[in-house]
Amino acid sequence: MNSSRDQIEAIASVINNTRENLKPLSINFIFWGCLVIVMSLFNYAFPSLIASTQYSATLFWTVLPLIGMILTIYYNIKYRNKTGYETYLNRVIKIIWGVFNLSWIYIIALSFTLKSFHPVPPILFLLGMMLMITGLIIKFKPITLGGIFLTIFTFYLNFNPGINLLLVNIIGVSLGMLVPGLSLFYSKSYK
Amino acid sequence: MNKLLFNPIRLKIMSSLINNSECDFNYLKKITESTQGNLSIQLKKLKEEKYINIKKKFINNYPKTSCSITEKGKIKFEEFFKNLITLKENGK
Repeated sequence: MNSSRDQIEAIASVINNTRENLKPLSINFIFWGCLVIVMSLFNYAFPSLIASTQYSATLFWTVLPLIGMILTIYYNIKYRNKTGYETYLNRVIKIIWGVFNLSWIYIIALSFTLKSFHPVPPILFLLGMMLMITGLIIKFKPITLGGIFLTIFTFYLNFNPGINLLLVNIIGVSLGMLVPGLSLFYSKSYK
Repeated sequence: MNKLLFNPIRLKIMSSLINNSECDFNYLKKITESTQGNLSIQLKKLKEEKYINIKKKFINNYPKTSCSITEKGKIKFEEFFKNLITLKENGK
């Protein structure tokens, strides 16, 4: 490997060995989409069960997402260890969603303190922003559109305060996360 | 030409690290097709010149080494690559 051509070829071959695999990202979207939809449906179907005690609804909407967070973090760490490398794109996505997790905890903590503050609209707005950023970074239109949809949807929510927030969750998360996540999962260009 | 990067194993290590924010030891071993001992020596040389950072941690009681490129490493690799392109254009 003495000639400059051989060395350039060696560099190219190593770089080509790294594949941008966005399948784990799509699995995260599908998982969160399904979890929020199932939780919202359960709450919608059994409201008396969820609101049976003073703290049961709060526990339901904090403990389950926290378990979900732990599971997704565990899955992502496992996947990272399996591949043996982390691309710059994956690092950026990890940071974006890490910040979202912290913001989620911040909003939930705020809703515990301020009783009149409902966490769903700001969480959905933030989620819309994160989806838009992710979609623009990975250049995947369905996710960007999902983010735009959620942002417009949360804007509309402010003018309709009486709307059922469980139905909002189901519609918002289905069109903002689940459909774009499935679209990314089956996208051939990212395999 | 940078003598440190002229070595094929070190060049492969740097090429992989310039493209990724972090690479594990086992992945670099696979990419460079080298032995564990040889790879350790080459990584040590790159670290001594401050081209790379080496981070060691334990996962389930097993040691895990991961490497990342430094700013100096990025500059040196870019210089080396530009020189390679110039040489190639000159037909060497």
